[in-house]
Parts: sequence; C-alpha cells; structure tokens
Amino acid sequence: MDENLVLEVRRLSGGYRKGGVISRGTYKQILFDVNFEVRHGEIVGLVGESGSGKSTLAKIILGLLDPQEGEVIHHTPRPQIIFQDPYSSLNPAYDVEWILEEPLRVYGKYDKAERKRRVRDMLSRVELDEHYLKSKPNELSGGQRQRVSIAAALIRRPRFIIADEPVSALDVTVQAQVLRLMRSLREELDLSYLFISHDLNVVYQICDRVLVLKNGRIVEQGEVETVFNHPQHEYTKRLLEAAE
Amino acid sequence: MKYTIRRIWMLVVTMLIVSFMTFLAFELVSGDPAQTMLGTEATPEQLAALRHELGLDQPFFARYFRWLGGFFTGDLGSSYIYRQGVWGLIAPKLSLTLLLALISFILITVISIPLGVWSYRFVGGPFDWLRTTFNQLCMAVPPFFVGILLCWIFGIILHLFTPGDFPALRSDPGGALRHLLFASICLCIPRIAMTVRMMRSTVIGEMEKAYVRTAISRGNDRRQVLTRHVLKNSLTSTVTFLGQTMAELVGGSIVVEQVFGIPGLGRFLVSSISNRDYPVVQAIVVLLAFWVVLAGTIADLINQRVDPRLRLGGGAK
Repeated sequence: MDENLVLEVRRLSGGYRKGGVISRGTYKQILFDVNFEVRHGEIVGLVGESGSGKSTLAKIILGLLDPQEGEVIHHTPRPQIIFQDPYSSLNPAYDVEWILEEPLRVYGKYDKAERKRRVRDMLSRVELDEHYLKSKPNELSGGQRQRVSIAAALIRRPRFIIADEPVSALDVTVQAQVLRLMRSLREELDLSYLFISHDLNVVYQICDRVLVLKNGRIVEQGEVETVFNHPQHEYTKRLLEAAE
Repeated sequence: MKYTIRRIWMLVVTMLIVSFMTFLAFELVSGDPAQTMLGTEATPEQLAALRHELGLDQPFFARYFRWLGGFFTGDLGSSYIYRQGVWGLIAPKLSLTLLLALISFILITVISIPLGVWSYRFVGGPFDWLRTTFNQLCMAVPPFFVGILLCWIFGIILHLFTPGDFPALRSDPGGALRHLLFASICLCIPRIAMTVRMMRSTVIGEMEKAYVRTAISRGNDRRQVLTRHVLKNSLTSTVTFLGQTMAELVGGSIVVEQVFGIPGLGRFLVSSISNRDYPVVQAIVVLLAFWVVLAGTIADLINQRVDPRLRLGGGAK
C-alpha cells in the first residue's frame, strides 16, 4: 500500500434511480469502471463536458450517493467540499461567524471559545478581515463569499478537499485570486485537492495532474503539461480546441 | 432604526387615513344623531340645544379631530342606546377580546411552528395522505361547530366551564381564563392547520436549496438541517402569516364570542349594529382597523430583524 495516497477509486460504477412513483424506477448508469488515485499534496483536475458524470463522481466520493460497483478508499478523515455557487450555497439567514462555526458545532468536539478562535484563525488564512464576521452572505462580493465557503470547508482541518467548479461563478480577476489562495492554502495546511472544472484554462493554472471524463469513463489521465501539450484521445483534443 | 421610524410613520399615516374614511362614512350614513336620540317629537329648540351639547354644530374637520383625539383622551362621544361614554362601554369588552386573541395567538405560535417543521417528516412517506386529510379537515370545520362541540363536551358533560355564563375577570380570573382557553382552542384549530400547511410548503421549498446540500455535506443530519438551517429561513414567511393571523383573530372572535357567551368586543359590535348605535360601531370599526394595521407593522418589524434583506423599498445599508 502506497502511503502517499489520499484517495483511491477502484472499478467504480454508479448512477441514479430515476422516477419510481409506482414501480422502483429505472436505473440510469452514469459512471463506468472509473479508476484513479489522488496522492498527497496533489491537485488533480477532473475535466469533462456537463453531463459527463463529474458531479456524480464527487457525490459518490463524499458518500452522498452509493456506488453500484467498485470502491472508494479514503486514506484521510472525511473530505470536505467547496461548492460552485457561492451565492446559494451559504445559508442566507446567518452571519459569517455562524456559518464558519457550524461545521465545528456539528462536530461537537470544541467549546465555544475554541470554536471562535478557530474561526478567526481560518478567516485570516482566507485573507478576510475580522469585521466580516458579522456580515450576512448577501452583503459580500462573489469572491468574498467563495473565501467564506473555502474557510467553512477547511475549518475542521480536513486533508483532502473536493472543489466542485469553485471559481466558475466568479469573474476572471477574482478567479485568479481565489486560485492563488487555494494553492497557498495547500502548502500551509498540507492539503490535496480534487478539482472539478469544465474550464481547461483554470485546470491548467492550478492542477498537477488531470483526468478527462467522457460519458462516465476516464478516457485520458496524466500530468497536466503532458496531457495539454500532447493529448492522445480525440475527445481531449476537441476539449482543448474548444478552450482556445 | 431608520427603518423602524419609517415603518412607524407609515403606520401613523395609514391609521389617519383609515380613521378619516370611517368617520366620513359614518357621517354620511348615520344622519342626525340629535334627531335619533330625541325622536321625531322633539322641538327645534331641543334639537339645537342637543346638537350644541354634542358639538354637532362645529365644522366637519373640527369634529373629526376632536373624535380622533378621543382615542387618546378616552372621549369617543356617547352611545345612543346606553347614554354613556362609548369608551367606558368598550374598554372592558376590548380587554376580553384582546385577551382571547392573545391566548389564541400564543397557542398558534407555540403549536404550529414545531408542528410545521415536524410535518416535513411525512413528505413522500406512506402516511402523508393521512396528514393531509387531517389538516384539511381541521381547516374545513367551521369554528362555530367546533365551538358547540367543545361547549357540549367540556362545558355540559365535564363541567369545566359554563357555556353562556362568563365569570367576571376580576372576581374569578381562573374561571374566566379557563372559559377563554376553550374559546381560543376553537378559534385556533383552523389557524394552526393553515400555518402548518404554509410552513410545510415553505420548508419543502427551502430543503431544495443549495445551502441545505452544503449543510448535509458538513455532516448535519436531517433533524439538524431542519432545526438549525431551514427553520430560520422559513421564519420570515411564517411571521408574515402569523401577523395576518393576529389581525384576523380579532375578527374571527366575533363568532366564537357568540358561541361561548363571552361579553367581548365582537358580541358588542353585533348588538350595536342591530341597534344602529353608530358611535359605538364607528369606534369598534376603527379599533379593529388599527389592530389589523398594527399587527402587520409588528410582523414587518420582526421580519426585518430576522432578515435585513427585507427592508421595504430596498433600503439596505
């Protein structure tokens, strides 16, 4: 067993049960025999068009959906997720402090003072000023909200993060800032990422390795430089052409 | 704070408009009070003397402002029938009706909010139809019927109170409260059913939202998602609904007061209308209107505290 691994996905198949008001419904298979791993300290990109199965894969890895076949082996404690849309994924009724404290409260291991201390520490790590603690999400900009989302994902100090289109809703300059932040947090907090994106430019900026998903199958994987400069599969070539 | 002041200003303006319209309407409808009080056989001298005594020889606006001021000084003219001050007649009945509304409102709030959240458990489950049927039944059965049923079971069979014989609040407060409690149960049932239904659909809508997915991914179970994340987001529409309920409770108490024999405002309004006792009717109508506007304002102010996005006119920051 390789000690450097944080995640192994082996022969994974999965999908959804559709319909089923009267009958049990039909099973729609989305993923077919997916194999890959994420190593310690790596940022692995997962690219593919919409409908290729990226989100289904993320759900299965997070345990929100059961696989049909195969297995997901975690070598770290529970991974955390950063969602795409910072506008709707934060609870609008509470302020930033409550939102950041929430994962710790669910965890139930820390007292109030320790929770507050950790919240302040994480807020400074995502480069937000303390006066935002009392702000509601709708009072923040898109970039600030995504920093709050990142802080909320990191507050329990996970070692592995799944980022589902984390910068797609942001404009380009803010994208670059958030990507830079994610990269520096990887060094500071010793993180590994699975970075899901349909935007190949973003993937090229931040990822070490990349997986190309097409219709639920991984058609190509390798170092970002290699895959982007010498794509082997037709589908990868098409994606790259479309991105230019 | 600025919002609060603006909202209270709006309240005052609305109340002025409401009271003016009411005053004008009764001015047009009621004819000459002096004639009504003295009957057709009065001499012109007697009429003129009474008009002067009642202040009816004053110009319209002067009378309006004197009457409006009466809500603060307690001088709302005198009843045609009882020949005493309207305020003195109304005040004890008003306090009974408000007490009835208050007890009902507390019952509705403490029962329907937890029940609304809890009812989400049934969504998509095998017993949802049973819950829906029960809910619809509670909404459909009219309060007077439930009232008669309650009077029969708890009043006549179990002797917990005497229907039609309301104990005086001062001499027997316990008995009076028990009497009011049964009346408020009858008033509450359809309201609770409506609030629960409203909350259930709000909660279902909220559960679809992305922040719920975030909460689940952070390790919250279903109960925690409901009580900690969804409840607060569902509260604004519930508070608005409860504000309307508060307003309608006073109107709804008219029927219930009749059934339970509570000498409240509603019962007095009905008898005053049939007696054409216009000063009394006028005062009660304005008080009810004030109540409706006040309940709406309180609901808005609470919502604004819960969720600052809801400031009227988009005055955020």
